[in-house]
Amino acid sequence: MRTLVLILNRLIWFVPTVLGLMVITFTISHVIPADPVAFFAGDNATPEQIAELRARYGFDQPMYVQLWDYLVGVLQGDFGVSLYTQRPIADDLFNRLPATLELTLVAVILSAIVGIPLGVISAVNRNSTTDHVLRIITVSGLAMASFWLAILFQLLFAMELRWTPLQGRIDGWGPDEITGFFLIDSALAGDWESFRSAASHLVLPTLTLAFPAMATIVRFTRAGVLDAINSNYVLYEQAMGFPRHVVIWKYVLRNALIGTVTQIGLIFGILIAGAVVVEAVFDWPGIGLYAVQSILNSDYNAIMGFTLITGVIFILVNLLVDVVHGMIDPRTQG
Amino acid sequence: MTGLFDAGRDAARLIGRTAFAAGLAVAGVSALTGAAEAGGKFVFANSSPYDTLDPHAVYDVGRVASRLNLYDGLMRWVDNPPKLEPWLAESYEVSDDGTVYTFKLREATFHDGTPLEASDVVYSIERILALKKGAFSLYSDVIEPGSTKALDARTVQFNLTKPSAIFMATVPAIHVVNEDLVRANEVDGDWGGAWLSSNDAGSGSFELTRYDPAIGFQAKRFDDHFHGWDMNPNPFDEIEFRTVVEINSRVLGLLNGDFHGTDGYLPQDQVKRLVASDDVTVDEQESMRIFYSIIHNGREPFGDVNLRKAISYAFDYDGFNQEILSGSVARNPAPLPNNIWGAPDVEGYTYDLEKAKEYLAKVEGEIPTITIGALAGYGQTEQAAALMQNGLNKIGLETQIVAEPWSVVSGKMRDEQQMYDLLFLWRSTYYADPNNWVGEMYACDQVGARNNSWYCDPEVDELLMAARVETDRETRAEHYRKAATMVMEDAAGVFIYNTKWFGPFASSVKGVRFSPIGNGQEMRWAYFEE
Repeated sequence: MRTLVLILNRLIWFVPTVLGLMVITFTISHVIPADPVAFFAGDNATPEQIAELRARYGFDQPMYVQLWDYLVGVLQGDFGVSLYTQRPIADDLFNRLPATLELTLVAVILSAIVGIPLGVISAVNRNSTTDHVLRIITVSGLAMASFWLAILFQLLFAMELRWTPLQGRIDGWGPDEITGFFLIDSALAGDWESFRSAASHLVLPTLTLAFPAMATIVRFTRAGVLDAINSNYVLYEQAMGFPRHVVIWKYVLRNALIGTVTQIGLIFGILIAGAVVVEAVFDWPGIGLYAVQSILNSDYNAIMGFTLITGVIFILVNLLVDVVHGMIDPRTQG
Repeated sequence: MTGLFDAGRDAARLIGRTAFAAGLAVAGVSALTGAAEAGGKFVFANSSPYDTLDPHAVYDVGRVASRLNLYDGLMRWVDNPPKLEPWLAESYEVSDDGTVYTFKLREATFHDGTPLEASDVVYSIERILALKKGAFSLYSDVIEPGSTKALDARTVQFNLTKPSAIFMATVPAIHVVNEDLVRANEVDGDWGGAWLSSNDAGSGSFELTRYDPAIGFQAKRFDDHFHGWDMNPNPFDEIEFRTVVEINSRVLGLLNGDFHGTDGYLPQDQVKRLVASDDVTVDEQESMRIFYSIIHNGREPFGDVNLRKAISYAFDYDGFNQEILSGSVARNPAPLPNNIWGAPDVEGYTYDLEKAKEYLAKVEGEIPTITIGALAGYGQTEQAAALMQNGLNKIGLETQIVAEPWSVVSGKMRDEQQMYDLLFLWRSTYYADPNNWVGEMYACDQVGARNNSWYCDPEVDELLMAARVETDRETRAEHYRKAATMVMEDAAGVFIYNTKWFGPFASSVKGVRFSPIGNGQEMRWAYFEE
């Protein structure tokens, strides 16, 4: 019941949040002194040609009229057309979204699978050599520029050792699209060659993306575990004679994970937004690259579409985090 | 504490298993792209995204591959220096008054097997005029909608509104699309724009097989191409042009064998890296892409030739070309590439601060802070701006550098009020005629459009206008030679270098034909050496 109320509460806030996001993005993208029409019309365009194109796309209208038209369009499921591709924005974005989501999801899962146990190890070995080594690794993970790390991985694993592909999402053009997630689509089709290719192409970009995320998770888990270890209930359970590994992995970790789970939700959003660098280096055809190109081109509809989609994903992921949070936090139960 | 250490060891074992599983996944990686085979598939890494395949929607050099490989025009630019060769046209005639151009077409078919006819050419030019995109501005002054006629199935006639000596040079940009196919896919009078952005309606040497705007395009050889394949012993079976925006990724991919070619305007450190590899050959050619700084002649005090000359003498040309760019460019002192006909043989300005001060002393009134514009993300323009700033500061002028993205700059440079005082940028080859450079950059009728200097000199303009209608090549060359010299002497801009193209290709790739218009990306000539 409590979870249901939470979900309803979040959903009520969903609409004004998205609306606010759209208004802010629209305003910012329109006030920067760029002229998308002059840009896409090309070097040789005449002033008359630019004026006519501007009128054709409605850019000669006052900004509030453009915003209103855009919002009405979105309510009708029309995200507009890209100035550059002439294709519907929804087509462009949904064509690229699975690539980014697949990369981000695998990175988050990997960083959680590795980061949480490392956080526990770090905490239970506080101030030991292991803890110090892990601290150095995590601080490095947070401090290293992902651009640099990506190139380092490429040089070592792809160029020198030749263990992994250098870039791209798959050899060739990928399996027939069902979900757009190559791992899932190739598995569903029983095409294990494509599956292996997709998995191998995921290795380096995922590692690059997961490394700083893992570092964050390690630090949060460590702090959470240390906090929980010093609690009275842990002392009580130890006094009751529970085996230590049960105390740590069942009781301490559950409480320690509350903060970590919240962090994972935030990390997911950050990774989607931050995937652009990794996508650029690894030639990964996701929405990050599309967004950057759209910003550079001042392709308003594309910028709005990207913001809307990432905003909605971020809100949904954090809703999910809230639900999970409610499920694992004993204080919110009963 | 023993129990806690046990817990830690459990976790360590878990991580160990995870790492092992990950290791297996890595070890199971499939082999990378195999060595190229005869015929085979050629893969090119391109810096610009192929966000549309519509040949009439774009007219940039970055995405020229889709136009040149999937489509044909009546004429085509080949080789360097570029030669204009009949392509779909078997022959052509020009009326004595220079307004009627009649082309006889060869027998050719589109990729869907339907014959290419004069009506398709008519539809293509009408489509360009209606869309008002891409190469539209080349024709808007001289061709009225509805004036182009198909005299019969294989004869098309262009009726210009006035004589134009450059029309022939712009004809290759009329890429012919399959009228029936495009019409069948029109939606709400869009001239098939949405459909053609992702599909192929051409007759070119290669036929589209896959397209993903996020990745690029793939095409197979069109065996029935009108030109035939006799000139190429072993043409590619397939070509693939992928978007790879990162320079380092393109270079590593080429070194790694993932790609067989990439763009020829890489930074010199990357070129040196490629030259050092046995697996890559780098073809060096002087292109036709001049680097210069616009001076806003329309804003005081830049209307004073003495100030413009002071600015021209304050730029360290050798320092930029020889030191910063390692001599990878050719000094180009005038507003025409050195290697185009009509280019003047002049020495131009040198870096001479004493002369700069002399001219500066002749300038009357106060000189405000000079705004130097540069293209954000294009390192060379920012380096040049810094070097210019250094020179101007040394002669006592105050300056500020403003680096902004191209989408901002392209708008500002068409607005007299917003235009920077100086702006560093390149002028590329859209068609290989001097009009493409000095003829557009300094003509009075192009002020605010392609003339972003607001420079308008009656004597220069008279020469440029005469050259636009004159049909005799030598006379035209003389006009352009004089005009370019006058613009240079007037210091209407700071003219710095002509680009060299360093085309990197896998060593197995042979037969690439570079043209400044096509950038070596028309792949019908190339093949893998067996």
